[in-house]
Amino acid sequence: MRGDALLALLVVGLGGFGTWLMLPRRHGQARPQQVHWLGGLMALLALLLLAVLWTPPGAFLTSLFFYGFSFLAIAGGVLMITTRDPVSSALWFAAVVLSTSGLFLLAGAQFLAAGTVIVYAGAIIVMFLFVIMLAQSSGQAAYDRAARMPGRATLCCFLLLWALLYSIRLVGHPEGRSLSAEERATRLVPTGAIAARVGHGQGDRVQAVLDRAVRSETARMTSNRAMPPGVPTPHVAGLGGTLYTDHLITVEIAGAILFVALVGAAAIATPKPHVRPRQPSR
Amino acid sequence: MFDFDVLSNYLIVGAVLMVLGMVGFLTRRNLIVMFLSAELMLQGTALTLIGFGRYHGNWTGQIFTIVILTVAASEAAIALGLILVLFNRRDSLDVTLWQELREPGEPAFEDDEAAVVEPPSAEPGPESYPQLTTAGIEPAHPNQAWERRRD
Repeated sequence: MRGDALLALLVVGLGGFGTWLMLPRRHGQARPQQVHWLGGLMALLALLLLAVLWTPPGAFLTSLFFYGFSFLAIAGGVLMITTRDPVSSALWFAAVVLSTSGLFLLAGAQFLAAGTVIVYAGAIIVMFLFVIMLAQSSGQAAYDRAARMPGRATLCCFLLLWALLYSIRLVGHPEGRSLSAEERATRLVPTGAIAARVGHGQGDRVQAVLDRAVRSETARMTSNRAMPPGVPTPHVAGLGGTLYTDHLITVEIAGAILFVALVGAAAIATPKPHVRPRQPSR
Repeated sequence: MFDFDVLSNYLIVGAVLMVLGMVGFLTRRNLIVMFLSAELMLQGTALTLIGFGRYHGNWTGQIFTIVILTVAASEAAIALGLILVLFNRRDSLDVTLWQELREPGEPAFEDDEAAVVEPPSAEPGPESYPQLTTAGIEPAHPNQAWERRRD
């Protein structure tokens, strides 16, 4: 584990310094192109070292796609925050969204992969590009070529990254051993302790209801109530089954959020005529 | 198959995306790039949720990611409307122009512009415009404003 700790430190140090170099800032008399490329090289090296911390998921094609999508996501993220042109930022963000969508697909979330591409890359990024069109500066703006306190911000955030890498990588398995898939799925079934608390007061009852929603039969991916035995549940059928039974209130609240946002956006974006002060009568 | 080692892959990528988004949000002065960095943070957390959902064999990770998608869409609509309104007030997407919204006891953020702003990259001028072969009869009008450099 000492090797892992050293590797994480190296990744964080190299990546932080590379990102700091890439952020738009004047570094004395050095040419911006050269500083940008040097920073990019260091960040790429940090990314390759980070890849050492990953374990290949098994099959060759799965590993290939996983590494490809992860590299593209992280590289796209770095390029998104450091490029000087907001249109390029939006396009790199589109690359990040497509990569995370691919990672969702590899993790078995097929509906979300399609949903993310449609909503994020298809709607949100198009909206960004329209707003950039309506709100563009003439020529290269000074505020695109200067970063606010990049050193302190990069140090602070990459310290956080080191802490996260430490807790993910070095703490290891939660029980000290690797559980099998059935053990993991059934571990979330309500135990006798939770069931016994149901009778004790309002707060416990709410907690028990929430626990049941998360741990119920339909919430488990392997539950198979609607299909004949031996046939796996289709993905969207299972997702929809749990969405509309265990998380019904969530659906209602999400609809309410969308409605409120619609009303708010229409109210904000509609131009209102200026109110003129009443002319003083003579 | 989806054991802790594979889960930690997803968690690491999600953590890196989250931190990169945080760096972008704290550092950049363009309102639109700041908001894009906030969306990047949301992508990182969504990846973490999906990973944990798959690890525990539970749909709840994906359900909450659907909620995140919904909230991100609503937030994008309202935030971009606000950014347009702010741009119309000051004619600039700079966030340092809105410093009167800071905390009462905080000093204003001042930066030495000359020392900090990167020199702009040279934009190619009319010498880089493509040379097209003339065709047809030239109409009787003088050279127009689009042939001048847009500075």
